[in-house]
Amino acid sequence: MPDLSQYDVGLSHYLLLSAMVFCIGLVGVLVRKNTIVILMCIELMLNAVNITFVAFSRYQGNNDGSIIVFFVMAIAAAEAAVGLALIVAIFKRFKEVNIRFFEHLKG
Amino acid sequence: MENIVFYFLEALILLSALGVVLVTSPIYSALFLVLTMIGVAGIFVSLDAFFLAGVQLVVYAGAVTVMFVMVVMLFNLDKEKKAFSKGTAGNFLKAASVGLIWSVLSTSLLYVFSDLGKEDLPRLAEGSLAIKELASHLFLKYVFGFEVICILLLLVIVGAVSLARAKGGTHA
Repeated sequence: MPDLSQYDVGLSHYLLLSAMVFCIGLVGVLVRKNTIVILMCIELMLNAVNITFVAFSRYQGNNDGSIIVFFVMAIAAAEAAVGLALIVAIFKRFKEVNIRFFEHLKG
Repeated sequence: MENIVFYFLEALILLSALGVVLVTSPIYSALFLVLTMIGVAGIFVSLDAFFLAGVQLVVYAGAVTVMFVMVVMLFNLDKEKKAFSKGTAGNFLKAASVGLIWSVLSTSLLYVFSDLGKEDLPRLAEGSLAIKELASHLFLKYVFGFEVICILLLLVIVGAVSLARAKGGTHA
């Protein structure tokens, strides 16, 4: 019977998972051109941060991290609502939601 | 057993997150996003944050994703199917720099936090006591942040409606 204790789940596993999800979301924000998908990838990144908060709050044994997760969820929902309203406005103007139509903000 | 559940959830989350990024159709991205949120809720359960897992399912997997799907449904996005960025070289550079960020992040995480295992877990309050503790934190210690969030949500309601309504409704 091989020793499996090195595969036991600890704090670092949760943090690594969170880092990976965050980086996948970051790649999505940078690479995708569809504005709706970019918003979805931002939600992914916020979720990764939530995993970190909950893991730290569990391993520290206090509830402060969970409260921050509540705030992050509220702000994520607000951000999604405003972002989607902006996308609706953009679509009415340009008939597309491709981000390359808004590059004159790039400077 | 806990390990198997964790690795299963990890695989689910990572595969569906990759799905969100790689799938060309926005509606399938939204569906993969639901899958990711459900996996994250499972991770919360494995961290004994049961109430947060429920809120995650209701707010993210329910409300936010329904909002995304509604907006995708409003538009006719057939032209958008192939819309990654223009140059593959630029994409490669972006992915490589994010990979660099990831490697720095994960090596530093492993270096700093590698020694905390399940046996180091502090004991938590049981069942309904945990939720009571959460509520007293939210409404006593963090009540100022709570009020600020309330004002923010009010502003966002007004802002979203006025943004989306400008010049005649949601019909493009």
